[in-house]
Amino acid sequence: METTSKQLVLKNINKQFGDLVAVKDVDLVIAPAEFVCFLGPSGCGKTTLLRIITGFEQQTSGDVIYDDKIINDVIPQKRDFGIVFQSYALFPNMTVHQNVAFGLKMRNMPPKLIDERVGEILKLVGLTDWERHYPSQLSGGQQQRVALGRAIAIKPKVLLLDEPLSALDAKIRIRLRTVIKRLQEELGVTMIYVTHDQEEALALADRVAIMRDGEIRQIGSPWEIYKQPKTSFIAEFVGTSNFITGKKKNGKVQFGRLELAVTNLDDSGNETVYLAIRPENIELVDETRSSENYLASNVVEVAAEVINFLGAIVRITFILEEEEMLVDISEKAFEKLSLKRKDKFKLYFPPDEFHQYTELFRKLI
Amino acid sequence: MEIDRFIIPTVTIFIGLILCFFMLFPLSAILKMSFFKGGEFALANFTLVNFQKYFTTAYTLRALWHSLYVSVVTTIIVTIIIFFYAYAMTRTTIRGKTFFRNVIMLPLVAPSIVQALALIYLFGRNGLITAHLLKTDWNIYGATGIIVSEVLYCLPHAFVILYTTLSAVDIRLDEAAESLGASPFKVFTRITLPSAKYGIFSAAALTFNLTITDFGNPVVIGANYNVLATEIYAQVTNLYRFDLGATISIILLVPSLMAFMLNYYISRKTFSMISGAARPVIPPSRPLKKISYSIYCSLVTFAIFLVFATVIIGSFVKIWPYDWSLTLAHYSFPSIAGYSAIWTSVWVSLIVGIAGAFITLVAGYVMETRRPFFKQTIYLLSVMPAAIPGLVMGLGYILAFNKPYYFFYGTPWIIVINIVICNFTLGILASISNLRNIDPSIEEASISLGGDTFRTFFRIIFPLSRVAFFQNFVYFFMRSMTTISAVIFLVSATVHLAAIEIIMLDNDGWTASANAMCTCIIVIVLIMLGILQIVAKKTGQRPEGMTSAV
Repeated sequence: METTSKQLVLKNINKQFGDLVAVKDVDLVIAPAEFVCFLGPSGCGKTTLLRIITGFEQQTSGDVIYDDKIINDVIPQKRDFGIVFQSYALFPNMTVHQNVAFGLKMRNMPPKLIDERVGEILKLVGLTDWERHYPSQLSGGQQQRVALGRAIAIKPKVLLLDEPLSALDAKIRIRLRTVIKRLQEELGVTMIYVTHDQEEALALADRVAIMRDGEIRQIGSPWEIYKQPKTSFIAEFVGTSNFITGKKKNGKVQFGRLELAVTNLDDSGNETVYLAIRPENIELVDETRSSENYLASNVVEVAAEVINFLGAIVRITFILEEEEMLVDISEKAFEKLSLKRKDKFKLYFPPDEFHQYTELFRKLI
Repeated sequence: MEIDRFIIPTVTIFIGLILCFFMLFPLSAILKMSFFKGGEFALANFTLVNFQKYFTTAYTLRALWHSLYVSVVTTIIVTIIIFFYAYAMTRTTIRGKTFFRNVIMLPLVAPSIVQALALIYLFGRNGLITAHLLKTDWNIYGATGIIVSEVLYCLPHAFVILYTTLSAVDIRLDEAAESLGASPFKVFTRITLPSAKYGIFSAAALTFNLTITDFGNPVVIGANYNVLATEIYAQVTNLYRFDLGATISIILLVPSLMAFMLNYYISRKTFSMISGAARPVIPPSRPLKKISYSIYCSLVTFAIFLVFATVIIGSFVKIWPYDWSLTLAHYSFPSIAGYSAIWTSVWVSLIVGIAGAFITLVAGYVMETRRPFFKQTIYLLSVMPAAIPGLVMGLGYILAFNKPYYFFYGTPWIIVINIVICNFTLGILASISNLRNIDPSIEEASISLGGDTFRTFFRIIFPLSRVAFFQNFVYFFMRSMTTISAVIFLVSATVHLAAIEIIMLDNDGWTASANAMCTCIIVIVLIMLGILQIVAKKTGQRPEGMTSAV
């Protein structure tokens, strides 16, 4: 199956519900066969944006452009966009076969061709033996495969997935993730995938668009998003970050009694600076190495408050200058350290691992 | 494809027009008749003389006080009886709940005249209990008779509301209060009662509305005790005073409209209180509580059974209560109509059932899932019929459509239309609540796969609604078989209906045959309900029984 998708452009899309701004100034060019994830917390406008692309929601202003044609006025059933819903939305009164065949029937395809195509699709999603079953006889994971099959059966120009895996168990979720990724690569279809699960977005997408308050706050490859979060919100939302509120002083950052060295500290503007550092980027101080490897100002001694064994890594909670922070160390290193609660140990904050922000996103926990 | 854009607006406008033409137009005819001289709409003709006449004539004015008195007393009695009945069903562990729940619904299968017929047989001038067992001269005609029969008639309606309310309130609240040291009495007055207060008010408002608008029971058992409904009928049928009939209709409309609006307002609050929380098992009731509630529920169901047993037995014995030998003589109906009235009723009801279920499903679909921009207007029009007493609507139909160019006037079709419109509200509410259970994504899935409105409706929505459709069908069928007030003005020399024949037979002194006619209706409706159970079971969904049909 070859690529049939063309370029999809969202041009200055806005959507208002009364006073509520659901989508704000969204500009986005999606290349043919690209896999884009809209990632954001609930209420960020990602589903509304998806629904605007499908045509179920009409934007207040802006254009949806597919293959250089404005499709604002094309009704959903004529857009040829496949949709996979969070609730699967399988037709409960139809068998698996009939579900997958539905879109083809609506296109008045001859029954013989329909049967062939349904057979192909079911093979593709691994449900060949389940043709005659009704959705209620299938597991959640199988149902979502049927929904996937039903959506790709019509050879959609774009496949839109609205939190398709969030109703499933963790194990099945990860397995289906692979199924989706492989399908996308095999079919060469443009996919737009909405999720609030950052891990899912990073694992699947070519590009991730982080949304908040109706806006796209950052868009880039998973790598960029993770390594260079543009705002403290993204630093917190994608992965985990420790936040430090400090004051600029002599080219360093004063944080309680500490004076931390920070690479490329932005000396302009406000005196207050917000720093973020990921738990896995904080290092254990290796006492066997010479102290020249460490900047003395960035070495601290802390006590372990909580130790969470997570398998390959161990996450340790510690208090630094009255702030609760996390550090991840490998299970091997942890074993060597033989750390217990309240034990003291030394950590190093590499100056080049800090991200600097001018505002601080407040966690709502 | 472009046709698809027009389907929804067209259907919406069509439904709106139907409701306007068959509901607002007849209502306007009543307003015209009561407020304008000679029923001619012109500013110069505006007059309040009809109302003046009504309020200055002692006899007709009395009907208003009578109606209010009877309705208030009935409301109080029904609310109290049903509260404890529903309490027993939801908060105690008495046995035989399914039985009690089904029996309390029984009055729905008969016209609201069966109670009066039974009470006359038991407590009338020649009543089995009054004249023959107690040898007393006292009889039940008048206000007492109306109240007792209305109480027995309104029980199922009030029960549905309070049962729903009490089932929805989390029983764990009671347990929490108990665990904090509240006595059972305190729990009842501080927790149970307040949490059910909207349900109580709603049930009371509905009972009031049903009683004040009922025609069948008061016309049979009221004797000289006139109420608004019987007065409208008397003015129109006996005195040919359409203007006064219309005027009294307006006077009847006011309290019933108020009760309806109260109910509407309250029930919205009730539903906002209902949570989807799981209902834990009811803790076992203490033996004394169990015994007293069992006796209580048995007494209530006994009263309902007594009504039905009296009417059914009365239709099979030679001369109640003198000659108890069995006979089928009463089933060879003396009036001209006889069995033809039953057949007319059956096929009219079948058409009403299909048409009513279909149009409410379509209207519900259009309003609920497609949200046309005049949704609010259509919704308002759809709930209005419940506020309009059947008798008033019927009179409006005569006034509006008794013109040669309305070809359907005087045919069974006007009866079909009238019954569908009169019961539109509950039909559409049932449809909407069913449609809300269908995941909206399912429809969107169909659309995104290229299904147009027509095919989405017939391939997806309709199959998924078929149990609800059939329940609605049975509801409309049942209402059509048993309604009296809506159609009493619309039967004619050529079109007879079974429920109306009961009144005619009783009026002409053929009381036993009236009972026989009543029995026929009951049997037909019960058969239909039996089919519903089978169909619902076959389709694998738990039958909601009559609960959803009310």
